[in-house]
Amino acid sequence: IMNAFGLIQIGLILLCTTTTSSLQCNHLPLQQRKVIENSLQLLDRMGKKFPQQCLREKKSFRFPEQVLKPRQKETVKMAIEEIFQHIFYIFSKNLTLAAWDGTALEQFQNGLYQQIEQLEACVIKKQTHYFRSKEVSRLKLKKYFQKIDCFLKDKQHNLCSWEISRAEMRRCLQLIDKVIRKL
Amino acid sequence: GCFLSCRFEDFEAGETEWKGLPGCQNVTRTECDFSSAITKYYDKHHVRIRAERREEVSPWSSIVEMTPYDIAQISPPGVELQSINGAIKIKVSPPEANQVQKMWIDSVSFKYNLVIWENSSNAEFRNRSIFPIDIIDDLAPDTTYCLKVQAIYPVDSKEGLFSPIRCVKTTRKAVNVLFCATNVSVLALNMKFYLHWNNKYKQHVTYNVQYLIAYLKKLYDDYSVKWLNVPGCENITDTQCNFSSIITATSGFFYLRVQAVNEYNKSCLSNEVKVDPLVTNEIGPPAVKVDISDVLLHIQISPPGGSENEVMRDHYDLSYRVLYWKNSSDNEEEIKVKEVKQTIGTISDLAPSTLYCVKVQALSKAYNKSSHFSKEECIKTPGDKILPLIVLATFVTALFAVLLVATPLGFALYQAYNKIKYVFFPSCQPPLNIEGFGGQLFNSPFLSPTEEPIENCCIVETIITEEANQIDFKDYKHSKQSSRDSGNYSNDDDTSGSKVSEETLEKEIV
Repeated sequence: IMNAFGLIQIGLILLCTTTTSSLQCNHLPLQQRKVIENSLQLLDRMGKKFPQQCLREKKSFRFPEQVLKPRQKETVKMAIEEIFQHIFYIFSKNLTLAAWDGTALEQFQNGLYQQIEQLEACVIKKQTHYFRSKEVSRLKLKKYFQKIDCFLKDKQHNLCSWEISRAEMRRCLQLIDKVIRKL
Repeated sequence: GCFLSCRFEDFEAGETEWKGLPGCQNVTRTECDFSSAITKYYDKHHVRIRAERREEVSPWSSIVEMTPYDIAQISPPGVELQSINGAIKIKVSPPEANQVQKMWIDSVSFKYNLVIWENSSNAEFRNRSIFPIDIIDDLAPDTTYCLKVQAIYPVDSKEGLFSPIRCVKTTRKAVNVLFCATNVSVLALNMKFYLHWNNKYKQHVTYNVQYLIAYLKKLYDDYSVKWLNVPGCENITDTQCNFSSIITATSGFFYLRVQAVNEYNKSCLSNEVKVDPLVTNEIGPPAVKVDISDVLLHIQISPPGGSENEVMRDHYDLSYRVLYWKNSSDNEEEIKVKEVKQTIGTISDLAPSTLYCVKVQALSKAYNKSSHFSKEECIKTPGDKILPLIVLATFVTALFAVLLVATPLGFALYQAYNKIKYVFFPSCQPPLNIEGFGGQLFNSPFLSPTEEPIENCCIVETIITEEANQIDFKDYKHSKQSSRDSGNYSNDDDTSGSKVSEETLEKEIV
């Protein structure tokens, strides 16, 4: 019993030290710029040029740009975190029909994952109601990604649906790139 | 309250008509499940209810506003447990796992919070964040632990419901762990990454170093098959591995572990180590060269990792801190600091003929990292040797200039003096032809004329009109004088001359 108690105490101390030492957030803006630059390059490298035959299947998803425009830095960072999470989710699906470069895809996903973890650790989320999903633009963002998800499902994740989604995600990242440089 | 039957209606934002909710028409209960009617989770819905009794209908109730997403709760995740080797292996399946229509479509975004405690009295509850497939190994063997898991949706800070409590007993730890690699640690300098470990077991152990791309742990698939061998660290006997080949500055996190294989082909896996490249890496010291020119000290900094290594400069946003001080015998010299962004720096305000020493460290303010200092480089500022030379040169030049000006000036003055002396104080020499006459001749300036026989006659001048015309008189006097000068002037002696002077005297008195 004494051993277990000691072990539990050590465990708690380790838990505390790991959480405090991971809260160094100064490097986030610089790292984020670099990772997004790299992610855009990887997206391009993943596949070839947008196929001509997929042009007629192109759909307008209407990304809610106002979600990246609010006054508070923290709100924008939370929106960026959500966008990263959704992009990460989309690219974690069954991509065999897309026939993209596996290495580039892995690096892309890993970069996004790192950014998601950093943002989660560093962005202070207020518990007030207005800050949560009750904000209309955040709901619009969720709707936007739901549309893309439904689109992929409807097209059974065929090549064209993947290429259209990839082009759309590229646009998202470019918008985030612009916003980050101003932050 | 509803007496006989109720009718629920729903109005969606964007729609113009109220729709009856299926399964909620003519109900006698005071509650109704209308989930099947809700498809748009992010839109605002209005719900109203009225009671009906045969032909009578109550007015509509006040409208209840709701957005399905906002009020939705995250259901408990599925939990599978396995007690292996003194540890508990846990496998979590996401909420809404088998649902076709999901509220949270991105199930990979869930994070799982585990609460575990010993099944005894006064046990402390431990909170821990776990991956969908994870191992809890900091447990005591042969003990019963109870646990529960909840899903969290981080972006909305939404916490889900806990899974039902499950209890499991840990087994004994396997004994054959002597040859496992221990104290696995990472040392990284200038983006060269090395893994180090220990092994107390000395005989016949080979190692395979493996890595896992971190994001794979976030997925619900079994990632144990996704560990890859680090190139160059397969079947090695050395207790270190250079895994720089798999790392880049933007590659994200990696997990590393060491697989030890003994002579009986039994393998043992070490603990995992997580690597965040730019955070784990340490910046090495830069190199510094100094140069002196007059009163300026030029510092040339070679960035750490060499000038080809652009990666560190780019990703760390490196700057440099220069320390410089006077290296003199008295130790009370203040060390001065200068921060520069470029690889060249200049220090002014130096004292002459002094030995200055410089050392530099590289800094990354963003990552809060600093390197060790470079070697000290010392250089002496040029001293006063030049100054006396300058003074002497100036003196000689000045002297020369003075002489250059003074000599012709002096000469000119001498000439002028001679001229003046000649003009105002001439030393005259008589002409040679009259030299013999002697000095007597030059005593009186007047040559006496030869005497001629003269009549003794006197001229009597009338002076009657004098008093009447004094003015004319003056003129007359003047003319008389003048006529006297030009006219016949006979004087046998000086009497006429004296008469004239008497007359003038008289006239003046009048």
